[in-house]
Amino acid sequence: MPPTPLQLFSSAMETAIHKLPSFKTINPSFYTARGTASFRVGLRRSSSSLSVSASADREGDQDLGHRTRPDFPILHQEVNGSKLVYLDNAATSQKPTAVLKTLQNYYESYNSNVHRGIHFLSAKATDEYELARKKVAAFINASDAREIVFTKNATEAINLVAYSWGLLNLKPEDEVILTIAEHHSNIVPWQLVAQKTGAILKYVTLNENGAPDIGNLKQMISRKTKIVAVHHVSNMLASVLPIEEIAHWAHDVGAKVLLDACQSVPHMAVNVQSLDVDFLVASSHKMCGPTGIGFLYGKSELLSAMPPFLGGGEMISDVYLDHSTYAEPPSRFEAGTPAIGEAIGLGAAIDYLSGIGMQNIHDYELELANYLHESLRAVPNIRIYGPVPSGSIRRAALCSFNVDNIHPTDIATFLDQQHGVAIRSGHHCAQPLHRSLGVSASARASLHFYNVKEDVDDFVRALKDTVSFFNSYK
Amino acid sequence: MISAFLNTALPLSFSSSSRSVKLTNHNDPGPKRTKLKFIINQERKFAFMPLKCIWNSDLEWNARNHSFCVSCLTATEVPLGSSEVVADRLGRVVSEFRSLTEPIDRVKRLLHYAALLPPVDESVRSQENRVAGCATQVWVEAELDELGRVRFGADSDSEISKGFCSCLIHLLDGAEPEEVAKVKPEDLADLNVGLHGKAHSRVITWHNVLIAMQKRTAALVAGSERERSPPLEQSFPSSLVATAEAQIPQSRWQKLDANLSRS
Ligand SMILES: Cc1ncc(COP(=O)(O)O)c(C=O)c1O
Repeated sequence: MPPTPLQLFSSAMETAIHKLPSFKTINPSFYTARGTASFRVGLRRSSSSLSVSASADREGDQDLGHRTRPDFPILHQEVNGSKLVYLDNAATSQKPTAVLKTLQNYYESYNSNVHRGIHFLSAKATDEYELARKKVAAFINASDAREIVFTKNATEAINLVAYSWGLLNLKPEDEVILTIAEHHSNIVPWQLVAQKTGAILKYVTLNENGAPDIGNLKQMISRKTKIVAVHHVSNMLASVLPIEEIAHWAHDVGAKVLLDACQSVPHMAVNVQSLDVDFLVASSHKMCGPTGIGFLYGKSELLSAMPPFLGGGEMISDVYLDHSTYAEPPSRFEAGTPAIGEAIGLGAAIDYLSGIGMQNIHDYELELANYLHESLRAVPNIRIYGPVPSGSIRRAALCSFNVDNIHPTDIATFLDQQHGVAIRSGHHCAQPLHRSLGVSASARASLHFYNVKEDVDDFVRALKDTVSFFNSYK
Repeated sequence: MISAFLNTALPLSFSSSSRSVKLTNHNDPGPKRTKLKFIINQERKFAFMPLKCIWNSDLEWNARNHSFCVSCLTATEVPLGSSEVVADRLGRVVSEFRSLTEPIDRVKRLLHYAALLPPVDESVRSQENRVAGCATQVWVEAELDELGRVRFGADSDSEISKGFCSCLIHLLDGAEPEEVAKVKPEDLADLNVGLHGKAHSRVITWHNVLIAMQKRTAALVAGSERERSPPLEQSFPSSLVATAEAQIPQSRWQKLDANLSRS
């Protein structure tokens, strides 16, 4: 097994006081696929996180959760008198010290506007900002960093495609295929654009396993289909769509594919070239990076043919009083001063994730996913949404559920107040899906790689207590 | 005739085993039979406006469906809507919640209040009565009575939200419209359960319910003055994005429920 860049680095650091964690790499090719650029900032990991991780490493066979928890200072606190159990990672993830340090370093030492000044700080900020773009490109295996457009979040990225690509390409009677399980972010922009263009939205329903019906989707694709805009991993059902196949079917009829990868990019290796998607969107805050930054990946030839979405500085090449000429992508789509520090922070998050290895994260989370589902099923009168995991059906490490006759928000409130367990309740921005399941809301526990089985145990114990508390009031 | 002086700081017993106020006949649209038993905390001084209960000992209660909201707490012989009444009740509810430092006790208190919330007609659970922005489903309806006071009814699918509604109805039912308008969300920050001090989060039920009550009240007042006032600015249609849900085969929807993983 060839040494990973992290291992190489860590042996180079032997003389230093702290030793880097040498995560056992299951898929070493993962690193080579991602190039070396993405590890540069990773070397700047904070000494505090290194020292704790290193001690974890010495203990040998600790799982990934226990090894990485020390890197997340926020996890080590009490809320409402109980140890915090943070299980709302699908809403947003926590940030490792390495990311916090990067942000602080940016604002302390080279905060400046990008692409605008020739002075030292501006040049440095521009370099780091563009380096972050390269890291994102490498992380999802885009062939060129110019295929990455920084946006505010995934929602803005979808709106960008819907307005820029959609308004240009959709005609009356053209069809946009979505699933009923899409996040509102991947429904409403299409509704707005469909209303302007006369295009028709078609929704794939769920199958008998409670996952989006792939057969239904395949049947729906026709010459009328212009774009298939679907999630990769469902933020409520925990199901995973076979994107390679879907892209194949879509491309057969000349349709494009937009992948909402919000819930996959933080948890598994996602490769835009092997999936062959035309657009991909994700949010930094769900992948251990800062809020206020996300990205759109778009194939070069598509981005080049798209008109700007927002107008302003940065996105033009020349402005006259009556017209302007537009810059090339990605600048064309980045009007105004971007979230510079946040983009650089996202770069640091990518370094951190890559340092662990997305395959390692995925393997560990698969284990957590099964453990969570199994443990929750033991709670009386519970209904867990989405497919039941099996040899062939894999779930993400999250469970949305309802307990008979208790409102999920009441459950979440009590879990928080009495047990310090943070879960989400509500419709998770997936109202059509909830409606189709015959409920208005659900509770959701969602995990990340820094969660451990003990978190699941604490949560399930607390949930049982919560249920008996409310039932005693009936 | 019982004439109980009540301290509305609710010195009632709140544990599940000794809930002391029970409303029965939840679905009976006719006159409600209400079983009430109050344990009065003698230690409390009745420093506030004494509220007098005006129901008969045989518990016949002939008021309108929900005008007896929170039972005796709003039915007083004091002229309703006087500013002191709302302010006093507010002060008492706030100090009541402030005194509960254990989270579980606050939840219990809210569940108790939830049990006091009078049942409303099924028709109240309509789309136009939905309170926007809550994490749970909450419905509020408002009417002006013959004296021009606002009468509220509310319901929710969440017990904790019901508790919030019950507190708000206790505060505002029967008040003058101006009194309703005067209450500021900040005044109620102490009612928070789990959301300390954040009076403006979208998910805070009582905040949204209060705003809804105030909006409905304003609309009622505006409605009764419509002839005199100029038309309002046309608001942006809220159903702008009505498109293609028709493309979902409805029959599939029903099938799904039976197929969920259940244990
Ligand atoms: C599947 C999915 N899509 C889109 C989004 C929207 O992400 P953001 O709010 O960061 O734009 C989310 C976040 O909740 C999500 O889970």
